[in-house]
Amino acid sequence: MFKIFNKPLKCSLFFSAHITNVKWSVYLLPLQSSFAWSSLLSGPIGSRSLHVTAVCCKNRAARIRVGKGEKPLTYEQAYHPHHIAHHKGWLSQHTSNLKGEDGAAERTIEDVFIRRFMFGTFHGCLADEIVIKRRGNLLIVCALMLQKLPPQKFYFLTGYSEVLLSHFYKCPVKLEIQTLQDKHVYKYI
Amino acid sequence: MHSLCGAFGWTPAVHQQAKESVILPRKKAWSKEAVLETLASTLNRDSTAYPYQFQDDPYLSPRTATEFKLYSLAQDSGRSAARYFVNNHPKFFTKDFAEPHIPCLMPETVSLLLEEVSEEALKERITLRKVTAAVDMYDQLLQTGTAVSMETTHELLDLICLYCDRNPVQEGEAGAEEEKEGRRMTSRRGADVPRLSWTENNNAERIFYLLPERDTRCYSAVIRGMVKHGAYAKAFSVYSDMLNNRTPGDVHIFNALISAAPEVRDGYSERWDLISELLNHMKQQEIHPNLLTFNSVLKSLRQCGSLARSYSPQTLNEMKALGIAPSLASYDHILAVFYKSVSSGPSNSDVLQNLMTELEGQSFTCVDPDDVLFFSSAMKVCLDNKDLELGYRVQSLVEVGENWRLLGDSVQLSIYYGRFFNLLCMMEDVDVVLRWYKQMVPSLYYPNAQGMKHLLQALDTDGRLDLLPDIWTDMKTLGLYNRADLLEQLLGLMAGEEHSPELQEAFAVCALDVKSVFEEKAGLEWSASSLSHVTTLLLRASKAQQAWDMLKLFKAHNRIPSEALLNSFLSVCQRDGASERAVELVQLSAAFCLTSTSGLASRALAEFDLNQEQRLVLAGLEAAAGPPSD
Repeated sequence: MFKIFNKPLKCSLFFSAHITNVKWSVYLLPLQSSFAWSSLLSGPIGSRSLHVTAVCCKNRAARIRVGKGEKPLTYEQAYHPHHIAHHKGWLSQHTSNLKGEDGAAERTIEDVFIRRFMFGTFHGCLADEIVIKRRGNLLIVCALMLQKLPPQKFYFLTGYSEVLLSHFYKCPVKLEIQTLQDKHVYKYI
Repeated sequence: MHSLCGAFGWTPAVHQQAKESVILPRKKAWSKEAVLETLASTLNRDSTAYPYQFQDDPYLSPRTATEFKLYSLAQDSGRSAARYFVNNHPKFFTKDFAEPHIPCLMPETVSLLLEEVSEEALKERITLRKVTAAVDMYDQLLQTGTAVSMETTHELLDLICLYCDRNPVQEGEAGAEEEKEGRRMTSRRGADVPRLSWTENNNAERIFYLLPERDTRCYSAVIRGMVKHGAYAKAFSVYSDMLNNRTPGDVHIFNALISAAPEVRDGYSERWDLISELLNHMKQQEIHPNLLTFNSVLKSLRQCGSLARSYSPQTLNEMKALGIAPSLASYDHILAVFYKSVSSGPSNSDVLQNLMTELEGQSFTCVDPDDVLFFSSAMKVCLDNKDLELGYRVQSLVEVGENWRLLGDSVQLSIYYGRFFNLLCMMEDVDVVLRWYKQMVPSLYYPNAQGMKHLLQALDTDGRLDLLPDIWTDMKTLGLYNRADLLEQLLGLMAGEEHSPELQEAFAVCALDVKSVFEEKAGLEWSASSLSHVTTLLLRASKAQQAWDMLKLFKAHNRIPSEALLNSFLSVCQRDGASERAVELVQLSAAFCLTSTSGLASRALAEFDLNQEQRLVLAGLEAAAGPPSD
């Protein structure tokens, strides 16, 4: 399975490949949010708290280390973050990073939640990273799945995820699924 | 995956047959409206597209009608599972960052908040549709002596009568016994909702009789509830009660009573008398009839036998006089009245003709639940009268605007398109049939075994047997290979005559495929004719070894090969020069104790060059079988 989830839950590793340049990722949570998986230095409820994650140096982020030649890599995993916009595209597409737009942090948190949600709901079926696109109010989650479940189970999980995520984020969420027989290997490392 | 081609995987042979060489013109002149025409052509229904509610992926698209229903139901049950979680754990979903507020994405309250005995608590239970809790609350209120307002009592009575005094089945819960009963009843009646029956002295009646004063709305609720749940005689007695108390009625009461009239009277004229009496009462009380009134009159007239033919046109005229436009349900009832039996007179086909002329080009919306039955009844009439022209007119009405919505649920849809396709296969040229087939299957219509049989017959009539291998591929995709009779018809068509060598090759490949289907599927029995057809096809394509294996299957399944088959096998052996096989063949036929054994033996002796041993064996067989009987 992916290398990405082998870090403990405490450090929040961002899966969308536009990792920032700084060594420490420190960000402030305005209120204690309902889905806090990371450790919080919590004060009384309603106060601001400082949230500090473990360090992940930029020369180790989203890179799978070379092995003996038996590790299969997908195209997404084979190219490192500095190849974004050269050999690979973005996994999460929204306009909050343009000049004058706000909400980038909220979008990123939503993306993290959606990726974990999809990973857990379609357990063992994901063939590659999820691509999240936002068009206006609409949130489109594009996933590449393996044909491990019969189609009616896929439809059950699709209907369930769409409704649950729509109610959660108060915006229409659509799932677009494509299925493959096996994961598509780009190279072996 | 079988012959994946295009977006859908349907075989290309049913597309253009002629392979023309491509000639590139030097210069092409476009008309002024070419761009507009091209854009307009994209607005029609895309016949290669998957139904929009499914994911755009070959693995996830439904290929048969059962899969269609299964996947859409699975998706819906996933949605209701999510809604169950949202409604039962609302604290995770209350954070509202939608600007402006979207009410449908907020959790709904499903549990009761108010527990004390008060009218607000009663109203809450009514809004949440908790029938038994509401009745208990009402009784408690009466015991404590609190007066309940008339408005709330009306709503309570409406609630009880609508749900027949039982709690509606909630999403996510299902009472186990209710479900079992429901399933038994649904399997008998084929309805989606189990029909509940009105019990004696249930809460509705009890509360109704306890009321100090009963007004129109109370009577309306009780009468309509009784009619809905089958207590017809009681409904009429409550109605006479209402008349005695001189309470004014309302249009819904009369609609319900008119639809219940055939159940309380036997005899056509008595039923009509009751209906006209009710209509007179309506007139006396100056209540204006609406569309549903007339539709219930027509529906009840369907059960009035021969009287219907005289009275239903009068009903239509009344509707027009009052300015109420008839809906498709009214037309459906008219068709049922006039085309009741297959042996109706020739003058009756004018009814549908005139109807279609009048309805040409109109678009409809659904105003009556029975509207969806119109198109399938109309197509049935066209099919019974073998009227292709009329069938096309009905289809063009379906294609106007949004009328396709009135084709009903998936069952009605498959009935309608099944009948239309049947009509086409019977009456039309095979090219036109194939064009419609390409357009309708499988985006609109998943053919069942009956539909496939009609298609095979149409191909046979017009001699287009070269398309049979592709039709077989489609049959496999549609999951229709479980029907032994269908396979037999297919094999019979293929084995009927000799064809060109390439075609015979293709047929032989198909035959081997069919053989593997027979072997894999348990419960499919080989019949003698299918076995012989497969063997013949293999022989014609010069696959002698496989044909030989087929003969062994005859023995295994206790079927007897025909004489013609053995003779043709012998000829093939002669062509191949396989004399040993010829001897084995004669021995096989002796093992089956066939009368043709001696004939085969003598043929073998004459035509093959055999060694001494073989000659002895054959001579023995020829003698043992005795001279052929006259």
